[in-house]
Amino acid sequence: MAALLRSARWLLRATAAPYLPLSLRLLAGGPGRPHAALCLRAARARPVAGGLLSQARLHSIAAEKKNDLQEEPTSSHRRNASQFDWALMRLDNSVRRTGRIPKTLLQKVFDNTCHSGSPGGNQALLLLRSCGSLLPELKLSERTEFAHKIWDELQKLGTVYDVSHYNALLKVYLQNEHKFSPTDFLAKMEKGNVQPNRVTYQRLIAAYCNMGDIEGASTILGFMKTKDLPVTEAVFSALVTGHARSGDMENAENILTVMKEAGIEPGPDTYLALLNAYAEKGDIDHVKQTLEKVEKSDLYLMDRDLLQIILSFSKAGYPQYVPEILEKITYERRYIPDTMNLILLLVTEKLEDTALQILLACPISRESSLNDFGSFFLRHCVTVNTPPEQLRDYCKKLKEAQLHTSPLQFTLQCALVAQKFDLAKVLMKALKEEGFPIRTHYFWPLLVGHQKEKNVQGIVEVLKGMHEMGVTPDQETYVNYVFPSFDSIESVRAVLQENGCPHDDNVFSQAELRSKAVNGNLDYILSFMESNTLPFSFASLRGSLILGFRRSMNINLWSKITELLYKDGRYCQEPPGPTEAVGYFLYNLIDSMSDSEVQAKEEHLRQYFHQLKEMNVKIPENIYRGIRNLLDSYHVPELIKDVNILVEREKTDSRKTSKPSSSDLESKLEKLKAENQPIGDILKQLILMLCSEENMQKALELKAKYESDMVVGGYAALINLCCRHDNAEDALNLKREFDRLDSSAVLDTGKYVRLVKVLGKHGKLQDAINILKEMKEKDVLIKDATVLSFFHILNGAALRGETETVKQLHEAIVTLGLAKPSTTLSSPLVTLYLEKDDLPAALESTIDCYEKYKILPRIHDVLCKLIEKGETELIQKAMDFVSQEQGEMTMLYDLFFAFLQTGNYKEAKKIIETPGIRARPTRLQWFCDRCIANNQVETLEKLVELTQKLFECDRDQLYYSLLKLYNAFNIFLTAKKQNIVFDNEAYARLINLLLMKDNSTQAMQVKDFAETHIKGFTLNDAANSLLIITQVRRDYLKDALTTLKTALDLDQIPSRLAVTRLIQACALKGDTESVQDIQKLVNGLEDSIGLSRMVFINNIALAQIKNNNIDVAIESIENMLTSENQTVDPQYFGLAYLFRKVIEGQLEPALEKISIMVERLANQFAVYKPVTDLFLQLVDSGKVDDARALLQAPVMKSLLELIPELIDKEEAYSCLMKSYVFDSDVASAKALYESLTAKNVKLNDLFLKRYAVLLKNAGESVPFTEPPESFEFYAKQLKESKETHL
Amino acid sequence: MAASAARGAMALRTNIGRPVAFVRKIPWTAASSELREHFAQFGHVRKCTVPFDKETGFHKGMGWIHFSSEEELHNALQQENHVIDGVKLHVQPQRPKALQGDQTSDEEKDF
Repeated sequence: MAALLRSARWLLRATAAPYLPLSLRLLAGGPGRPHAALCLRAARARPVAGGLLSQARLHSIAAEKKNDLQEEPTSSHRRNASQFDWALMRLDNSVRRTGRIPKTLLQKVFDNTCHSGSPGGNQALLLLRSCGSLLPELKLSERTEFAHKIWDELQKLGTVYDVSHYNALLKVYLQNEHKFSPTDFLAKMEKGNVQPNRVTYQRLIAAYCNMGDIEGASTILGFMKTKDLPVTEAVFSALVTGHARSGDMENAENILTVMKEAGIEPGPDTYLALLNAYAEKGDIDHVKQTLEKVEKSDLYLMDRDLLQIILSFSKAGYPQYVPEILEKITYERRYIPDTMNLILLLVTEKLEDTALQILLACPISRESSLNDFGSFFLRHCVTVNTPPEQLRDYCKKLKEAQLHTSPLQFTLQCALVAQKFDLAKVLMKALKEEGFPIRTHYFWPLLVGHQKEKNVQGIVEVLKGMHEMGVTPDQETYVNYVFPSFDSIESVRAVLQENGCPHDDNVFSQAELRSKAVNGNLDYILSFMESNTLPFSFASLRGSLILGFRRSMNINLWSKITELLYKDGRYCQEPPGPTEAVGYFLYNLIDSMSDSEVQAKEEHLRQYFHQLKEMNVKIPENIYRGIRNLLDSYHVPELIKDVNILVEREKTDSRKTSKPSSSDLESKLEKLKAENQPIGDILKQLILMLCSEENMQKALELKAKYESDMVVGGYAALINLCCRHDNAEDALNLKREFDRLDSSAVLDTGKYVRLVKVLGKHGKLQDAINILKEMKEKDVLIKDATVLSFFHILNGAALRGETETVKQLHEAIVTLGLAKPSTTLSSPLVTLYLEKDDLPAALESTIDCYEKYKILPRIHDVLCKLIEKGETELIQKAMDFVSQEQGEMTMLYDLFFAFLQTGNYKEAKKIIETPGIRARPTRLQWFCDRCIANNQVETLEKLVELTQKLFECDRDQLYYSLLKLYNAFNIFLTAKKQNIVFDNEAYARLINLLLMKDNSTQAMQVKDFAETHIKGFTLNDAANSLLIITQVRRDYLKDALTTLKTALDLDQIPSRLAVTRLIQACALKGDTESVQDIQKLVNGLEDSIGLSRMVFINNIALAQIKNNNIDVAIESIENMLTSENQTVDPQYFGLAYLFRKVIEGQLEPALEKISIMVERLANQFAVYKPVTDLFLQLVDSGKVDDARALLQAPVMKSLLELIPELIDKEEAYSCLMKSYVFDSDVASAKALYESLTAKNVKLNDLFLKRYAVLLKNAGESVPFTEPPESFEFYAKQLKESKETHL
Repeated sequence: MAASAARGAMALRTNIGRPVAFVRKIPWTAASSELREHFAQFGHVRKCTVPFDKETGFHKGMGWIHFSSEEELHNALQQENHVIDGVKLHVQPQRPKALQGDQTSDEEKDF
């Protein structure tokens, strides 16, 4: 019913639409001729070719059809109704505003209609009717083509055509002056089993008449008479045209008399037909006479009708008469769209001069609000390829007539959009002549066009054009618009040279460098900078280099490049010098990263700073302070001390006059103290300096020493320092001393917050709360950033699971009014339980927040988890609550999103199809943004799919969100389909991205394509490493080995993980040769990769064992461990991996031989590491007995020396006791017993029995009750208990 | 999931207290250097960005001017008309992201 109501609303809107000329005509028709009046609507359909359709037509199209609809409301109609509404609205808006439809819009609506599956009859009708004069920007033949395309396509999709569709098609034919055979058309209708009606015949008559075929028209007319169909004004008007076109003007005039005799008074349409007929003949006199006649009658011609006459004159080649008609035009505002459409139509017909004439005559165009009124004309001229010089002339005229403020610039823009280089050149020359600058970016749209087609020649032409115009391509031009079209930058250079295209080598090289930097190719940057001889501005590279750094994460390269910048005479040496430049670079690097990025890369950055320190790179103190503030605001103060080590102190020392060093200050302090002079100031200075040097210990010592001379400022700095060093104890003590010193003193907000954080972190909750209270009491300034810091404090505690800290601090912050509760600030209260997977408590906490603060933090996350765990009751509870508090709609949306998020699409579908649910744009957008942020393509696709029928849902917005998320792979596919080939780097990056996202299949697809389309296609280090890992996982070991070779050939350093994975996979396959090959390949690179030598020893042995060459494996290991020149220190000779794999693989013979080997190594060569490894591996894999067997006394003892903690293992001490008993070594046994009881180790009965017997045998007393049963009994008992334990 | 909360919070941080002017309706003929030149009269322009759409080669008519101080930004905002290449620009202070962050949060106000 809703759909019908909506239709009804449409109907209302349609009839209520303003200025309906149709109804005017209906009124003009007057009463008394009901029949004729009824037919008027059809009559105004303008059988005259190229007629301008009124805005009202489209409304009536909809309205007419809607009436039918209500009579036969079939279900399919209903389903399509909302879709139809949407399409109609788009087209309607366009027609209402401009009286035309842009082709792109019609195409879009058409595509959408096709996409919707089974387009209904209404949609078909709407589309067909749009293909006539509503498309003034399209050539007549193109419009008809479009109509045919729509006709055929929709028919294929199952649309059933009725007579209204055939009539619509006929009308389009008439409007487009399409030549066709009316008899064939009738045959086509018959074949389609559709009966022609009056309108059909009427239009067929018009068709004949347009061709001047009176005979044909008469046949149809006779046919109508036999069927007793009424002959309307439209038929007579058509006959006027028909006679005129057959050259019989006399009879054309006579029709009017015939009409009157038939009882139909000629209306404006008939007169218009006559006027057009005279105009086509160039008969201005008769046109004037007829116009006078109409004026004298009670009829009235509208501007639109006059425009029609102008069109007829112009098309027939009589532009000279246009001004005379123009004079008669009233330029009523509502006819502006019609005027514009006529202008467009004339331009389409290549009658631009006439079009301009009309435009210039248009008084409206001079109104200030429309000061660039002529734009539509210029744009369309560009589209239809009006000759450049002619256009240039139009621009001049428009400017002179003040119809446009900047016609040349505007036309140039159109030319650039349309990729019309020749026109663009003419216009740029004109601009230049008029003294306007030609800017580099004017050429970018042209380059983009060629770039899309990979048209190298085109790009060269544009570059040459730039030169002609006196514009030099800048770095941006090369980096963004030239390089991407070439396989490599080297080939750009070659092509430019080949084509004699002038370029500035320096700009070019720097552009090249930037391009490589942006892509993270730091190897290139380093080697370029090492070999570069050109003058070089580091400032221009800074931004790109920062991007490259962030993309590469190869810290060694970061450091090397930074070192070069710092030390090499070619860079950063000019004032202010390397210290400033590099310092500023570091600042920018960190500034460009988000706080989460810095948090994630904390270790990398630390490593980088330390490497810089080793390279002796320094930064100025003021820049350090900037970095410190950044790190503070990023919530990673832990990195501050690592940057601090870079601060240039010597320089500070050398400038003693301006700034003394800490040691200077200290001696001065001591001197003053000795002289009994006041030291307060200098003490504070010194403390501040030590704080800035991050020297906490020294600062605290100093404070302790001169406590009585401390001032407030010194304390504040010290407190902050302790907080930074996570030293809660001292911070708190200092704060107390600070208060004692001056209870009214106030710290700054940041220091208070840091105190709260540190105190909270160390469980000093009450103290933290006291600080918060003090903040309130002392009215400390709370900024947005402060609230954010509160959130971080709470969130950190929540992630650490510190319930009390979160609750109490949150409570304190909120009750004190330091911050208002919000979904963000209060979310840690829920996070606390979500992290612990305590869902009832999480829900409770959310609800609690609502009851207290009217917010529902993390309700979405809670619901998702509840759904995942299938907690039906809790879901019900949550829903009841939301429903009751926030309404059913909110609840439904909450549930819908949660189902979508958790992949329960069926349930989500049910929810969104709840009757009465409406679109809530903010909520939908919220979820879209969330999907985009989390890269959830599928979820978003489902959202778009499921909300298809949602009432009032903004589809465009959703599709836009989806597009934002669609990954690069789809772009690749599209490009591939269109045969567009990107450059090496683009593919490499795409592959890297796909591999990281674990889309190996897609990655391989891209790689295969790239390899066949780009000669010498290469990937970078990271991508190759990922590729190796993927290939190993998919068991393509040969390919992985090839990838490794390729990477190494390119001097890349593959990741340790990739190489190790590959080696291990080969070894497990028993492929000794490959492992050895890899060893040779990476020879010399082990350290850069970070490979341990043991990787090869372990894996070669494993491969040999897998190949049943156990003896070879064992022999070689033994040789390595016993030979004179050992490559690996036996202490580090770890074989755990090999042993584990042998145990896991249940390779019993190998395990046996290995056991013998490790024992031999231990007993004969005193090499204990292997036996230890084996022992631990056996224990780990539950082979306790085997482990025990391994440990005979001598081995055991040495082993214990090696790893004393081993004694705590039950297997170990049991064995040891057994061996002491065996050796009757009472002293050692006693020591063992005592050390174990001292550690409160619970000893088993077998152990005690053994020890007791040993003592008794030695004649000593037993300090505990000897277990009464036999050895065997306890042995069995122990074994059984172990088994049940397992 | 904790990450999403943190992200929301992160949005709060960006651009707090940075003197940035947001410029709209930049004519296509002007790029960052023209903007920089124009706004230099109000103070030191630290950074000026007019992002270009790599798909079309045109910018989207928007840009950002980073001034060194609030005062300079204020100077620029005080001026009524900013005209480049005969076209009037729309200049406004960059809205702190904090506000936007709140608006897109889960908190719904339409009930």
